[in-house]
Amino acid sequence: MDMKRDYYEDVKLFTSGVGFFWFLVLMVFLAAYPFLVKNYYVYVANYIAINIIVVIGLNILVGYTGQISLGHAGFFAIGAYGTLILMTKLSFPFLLALPVSALIASVFGFLLGLPALRLEGPYLSIATLGFGLTITRVIGKIEFFGGRQGLHAPELVIGPWHLNTDRDFYYLLMVITVLMTVGARNLIKTRVGRAFVAIRDADIAAETMGVNLVFYKTLAFAVSAFYTGIAGGLFAFVLRFIEPELFSLFMSIMFLAMVVVGGLGSIMGSIAGACLLGWLDLQLRNILSLPYIGSWLESLSKSYFSLTGVSNIQFILFGLIMVLIMLFEPLGIFGIWIRTKKYWKTWPF
Amino acid sequence: MKKKLLSVLLAAAMVFGISFYAAAEEGVTDTEIHIGQWGPQTGPAAAWGSVARGTDAYFKMINDEGGINGRKLVLHMFDDGYNPAKTMAGVKELQEGKGMFAWVSGVGTATGLAVKEYLMEKKIPWVGPASGSQVWTNPPSKYLFADYPLYYIEAKALCNYGATKLGKKKFAMIYQNDDYGKNGLAGAQEELGKLGLKLVEAVPVEVTDTDLKPHVMKLKQSEADVVLLWVTPSHAVRTIGTGAAMQFAPQWMSTSTCSDFPFMNTISKGLWTNVIAASFGEVPDSPNPLMQKYKKAHEKYAAKEERWGVFFYAGFGFVEPAVEALKRCGKDVTRERFVKEMEGLKNFKGILGKVNFKPFNEKDPSSRQGTNEVFLVQCTETSGYKMLTDWTKYE
Amino acid sequence: MLDFLQMVVSGIAVGSSYALMGLAMVIIYKTSEVPNFAQGEMALISVFFAFMLLSHYGIPSYIAFPSTLAFAAILGFFLEFTVLRRAKNPNVLGMIVITIGLEMILLGLVSWKFGADHKDMPFPISPYESFAIGKMFVSTLEVLTLCVALVMMVTLFLFFRFSKLGMAVKATQQNRSAARLMGIRTNRIMMFTWGMSSVVGCVAGLLLTPVSMDPFMMWDPMLKGFASAVLGGMTSLPGAVFGAYMLGIIENLFGGYVSIEFKSVVAFVIIVLVLCVKPSGLFARHYVKKV
Repeated sequence: MDMKRDYYEDVKLFTSGVGFFWFLVLMVFLAAYPFLVKNYYVYVANYIAINIIVVIGLNILVGYTGQISLGHAGFFAIGAYGTLILMTKLSFPFLLALPVSALIASVFGFLLGLPALRLEGPYLSIATLGFGLTITRVIGKIEFFGGRQGLHAPELVIGPWHLNTDRDFYYLLMVITVLMTVGARNLIKTRVGRAFVAIRDADIAAETMGVNLVFYKTLAFAVSAFYTGIAGGLFAFVLRFIEPELFSLFMSIMFLAMVVVGGLGSIMGSIAGACLLGWLDLQLRNILSLPYIGSWLESLSKSYFSLTGVSNIQFILFGLIMVLIMLFEPLGIFGIWIRTKKYWKTWPF
Repeated sequence: MKKKLLSVLLAAAMVFGISFYAAAEEGVTDTEIHIGQWGPQTGPAAAWGSVARGTDAYFKMINDEGGINGRKLVLHMFDDGYNPAKTMAGVKELQEGKGMFAWVSGVGTATGLAVKEYLMEKKIPWVGPASGSQVWTNPPSKYLFADYPLYYIEAKALCNYGATKLGKKKFAMIYQNDDYGKNGLAGAQEELGKLGLKLVEAVPVEVTDTDLKPHVMKLKQSEADVVLLWVTPSHAVRTIGTGAAMQFAPQWMSTSTCSDFPFMNTISKGLWTNVIAASFGEVPDSPNPLMQKYKKAHEKYAAKEERWGVFFYAGFGFVEPAVEALKRCGKDVTRERFVKEMEGLKNFKGILGKVNFKPFNEKDPSSRQGTNEVFLVQCTETSGYKMLTDWTKYE
Repeated sequence: MLDFLQMVVSGIAVGSSYALMGLAMVIIYKTSEVPNFAQGEMALISVFFAFMLLSHYGIPSYIAFPSTLAFAAILGFFLEFTVLRRAKNPNVLGMIVITIGLEMILLGLVSWKFGADHKDMPFPISPYESFAIGKMFVSTLEVLTLCVALVMMVTLFLFFRFSKLGMAVKATQQNRSAARLMGIRTNRIMMFTWGMSSVVGCVAGLLLTPVSMDPFMMWDPMLKGFASAVLGGMTSLPGAVFGAYMLGIIENLFGGYVSIEFKSVVAFVIIVLVLCVKPSGLFARHYVKKV
């Protein structure tokens, strides 16, 4: 890491030409991606992009501000339901409905941030967990929101474009994801981000330094909820169908796992965590159709386990990957990346 | 002008590409027909995974008998863990990758709703969703054929029997707080309304609840003499178990979901005796020759831990109409032909009730709701089935 | 009035199983400061072990149950020794994710081995027998659970208060390096607490099996146990038990009088309200950070 000489250097988006180059390469790749692969993989990319937005948002809260949340599926649900309700019942255009519902989510985030001022650790996790569970119950109770039957997404029209295939939606989603990522990065590099980090490291010290704890802690919740709300609104259009049971506690736990496995307090890590776990989540079901491994697992189940439950290997592998990553590197995938980078920098010494 | 151009082009295509026309439909080759199916093998709903495994055994049986007009059936089933996002992923992967001719069964209302639009837009036939919800045929879609009798109908059948044959007056209900339970609730309210009665108590229960004491308390306070159980098997067992501990013993009635008496009686340690249930298919020990044949298939093709349960052979039953229609297609297996043959099924009898479809009419749900026949059974002390009614049709 | 009493009794009955799970979570939290999300699944695997002994091998229950408890203890030792101790510079969130990973692995193993079907556990006591107090009904199993929970709480309390080992656990919890300097092998203490907590969880699981047994049976009791431990203060054993009974009673009363649909979430709302007043739960002393 080179020494930063002034503030502007620190907040600059690209520290070097090389970085900018790779950024461009990535953008070109993302733009060309839908033409390189089958439509199914575009759907996978969309699903992962949604996770990336949530995980970045959650990382702002967990990784940078040092709070914990097991209730982000609640904000996700608010975003998804808000967007669909505003569009179908109040005929908002999509581009207005999405930020408005994300703002609603962030209001809830602010409210949840209030008790969080005094709570930490397991106390905070139970409080947020309760929030996540309650929100879906309330949504399911209200018939106006479609009740337990769920809601279908309407046609998505933005200006002259009809975005109803995975490919079309992909581009909208990528633009938003890149914007949200850059936004998060900027937020972290500036005054607000530094306040968050100060709170994480020592909140009392931060307060004595003049960081307004009430303001910044609730802000962290609100920003995080905003990100998750945006992702929720987009998710409604990826799946095109939502129902309350979808936003389960398991979903919140997965989001948290993505943050931690990716790397706390790192945006690159969030992206990596969301990609890895999101991909595993969708793809592990194919484990049994792999050559060799599939038949080996089947014979193993026949002799020691049961064939009817063989699909549960997904769970075992998923858990194993999570445990192993965390055992060997508390900073997650991001930590592994840093270590490899360091190793190769001084290689062969 | 445009139409003309199009017809010229079409004609040209037909002239130049007879082969193009003769080429089989997506998912159909000279030797194989590819069929897709989803079902939860993992997660809290994994107990319903046996439907997909049943269909698998059914297809193996058909293939060993020589397949359908020389073609083998290839079943591509995948585990979605009852998560609609995963159902969507799996359906897209198989449909766009390998190309499915059609989809069969598929457990769950939410999972099915997530992919329904996708399949219908692509005009891919889907036969026999494994859920008796009204959403499949209300409104009907051209390519979606439902053959699970509606939960709504089951509720009506049970209420009708309870009021007219048993002469009960006070009905209560405990229902799962989702589409499944609410369909049943609507049916019960409707039928009781007709008979001049009403539910004295309706208690919603969440899927994740494990403590059902308050629920049973409410039922007991209502002093109902019939209680309809519109819940999962484990909740049903908890409900009547808690009831037994509170010495509350009305006539319990349950949906087809809990109609697997030997199983229910085992996990409830004998409390299931005398429970009345609706059933959408033959009972497990039925002497029906088809059932005997399927039972042999179960012994031959299923894993050794696989139970001969209602939902295992329901995996045969839900798919029978599709197989029959494929047989009737002869050599010419195309989606349009398949839909036409499905519509031509009249009084088709497999192990479910009689299946009838009609030419598509978007105002008539019965054009796509194949059967509404159920019969009622009562659990005997030896976990046997005592027939209370024959196959009966309700509207 | 009768209904009210019946609800309170039901609440106490259900609270007992929460209490056992809560105790199990508190024991681990006391030493490692980790909310152990694998707690329910550790109990699950032990319970299925008992099921296997009883119904596959036909071992009589007076041998099967003690060996299940031994198995649970070994499982706890094993997990601490092979997994948690191996974490390098762990932070709390990392540890939580490890326990979540363990939870998935254990759940996967159980469902892989036994399938998803409900099981019928050959338990010596029927869950459907009950006796009446006036016009209220209490099932025998519930009374047993209640007694076990109370005995467990008192034993643990005495253990921590008076035994040498219990003192060592407390010392480890308060200051690990100081404890090590005093000659306590803190690693072994950690291992021991995991084993102990696993046994308590296993007892909770065993008492839940007669009613219904499937691979997902422990998830809700674990959450409720966690919630009640939080309500009582994560580090207090009597707190966890008290919290559990409060939770059970509130749930039942709320379900009976207000809304049955929100019965299972009302607990969390109340916890949030309580925590707003007492941020470290009802019984734990609020720890004021010094700079």
